[in-house]
This record gives sequence, structure tokens and C-alpha cells, in this order.
Amino acid sequence: MKVMALIYADEAAWDGLSEQERAGVLERYVALAREAREADVMLGGDELAGTRAATTVRVRDGEVVVSDGPYAEVKEALGGYFLFECATLDEAVDWAARIPAAEHGAVEVRPVHVDEEEVA
Amino acid sequence: MRYALLVYSDQSSWDGIGEEEAARLRAEAMPQWITLFEEMGKADPDVVGYELESASEAKVVRVRDGERIVTDGPFADTKEVVGGIFLTTLPDLDEAIRIASLVPAAAYGSLEIRPLADHGDAG
Repeated sequence: MKVMALIYADEAAWDGLSEQERAGVLERYVALAREAREADVMLGGDELAGTRAATTVRVRDGEVVVSDGPYAEVKEALGGYFLFECATLDEAVDWAARIPAAEHGAVEVRPVHVDEEEVA
Repeated sequence: MRYALLVYSDQSSWDGIGEEEAARLRAEAMPQWITLFEEMGKADPDVVGYELESASEAKVVRVRDGERIVTDGPFADTKEVVGGIFLTTLPDLDEAIRIASLVPAAAYGSLEIRPLADHGDAG
């Protein structure tokens, strides 16, 4: 099964880290991704730019309504994801627990409904 | 620019409705989805989309003091939760807004456009 691990963390805490601390965290992500690839569970992943760069779009009564900022102002915002191919949800939970943000934020594990869908 | 389009909607509106009603609603939205996929494919042939299972199937994982804490999800306690994500390369934000506005859920939920960070790519 394909499982998405959605990473939620406090952006302010990240902003407060030194360059060196950030590099250390990123290194842990790269190492985890490498290990997941070697275990054949890694399908992909991305880091999202901060919510400051977010734009929210709604269509109401046929009108496109655009607002700056994220969908919701929350303390812990979605900051990225891993996409895993796992035998069970429990296996995905094991991998999710190893994502560095699990130690201070939270990782939500959700099965993907259909296969990776090439919409083209 | 690489973008993530996050699809937020109130999934509880799907709870408790029958199979037939769900099928009818899906069929009703189908022309909009076809338009979306055509436009997306034209704008970026390499676009990918993932639809997530219902948030009621989510698990939330935290590690505190080395202890793993797993709870039933979803993480967010907002009415609308993320239900899907598109990853696409588009020329600019205006085009991302145009594409996002074509997603059927934009009419009853919200589409959040987030550029992808250009470092620390985990893929």
C-alpha cells in the first residue's frame, strides 16, 4: 500500500534554529530518505515552503476568491511529506516515527486512495 | 516553480450518505474533473496527484522522550482536512491559482497553494 506521511511542525521553532542546527536536521532527513530507499519503501517526498508563501483559492458562487496565507492559521503547519510503499499501515507508522519532526511536532499517516495517478 | 496544491474539504459531508448517493455525486463532478485533468496535463504533463483515504483512517505519530505515541487521526481538528495533494511545475503563481480554481473541491472547500522548498529534497 502507498502511504503518505504528512509532517506537521511549528514553523517558528524551525525559524529559530541556527544555520548549523538546520543543516543537522536536514542531514537526518536525507539519511532517513536514503535508508527508506535502500529498504525499498521510499516513493518520494517534498518539503513545502513555509506558510508565509501560501496562497489559498476558493470558488464561491462562480467567483474565484484568492487570499494570501495558508488555509488555516495553525501552530503546527503541514511542512512536507514522505510517500512510502509499505506492506501494512503499522510498517508506515514505524517509518513515520523516525521522521525527525515526530520528536517535536506530529506525523499523520494516511493511506493513498488510488495508485499514484498520472493525470496527464 | 514547483508547487504543491493541497486540497482541503469537509470529508464528514461524505459520511453517512449511501453508496448510490456517493456515486451520483461523483458522476456529477466528473466533467469538472475531466476539465481539470485536461488543463493540468496541458500545463504540466508530469503532474501527479494523490487522493488520501478518509482522515478517519489516519494515525498520528509522535515521539516524546524517546517514547512513541500513536493516536487515531487526523492531526488537524479543523472541519476541513487535507484530502489530496497535487504536485506540479507551473510558470507562476497566477497559473497555479487558475489550475487550483478548477479543482472541484475549490467550490465547496479550499485549495492551498504552496511552493516546494528548493533545498532538502527528500526524494
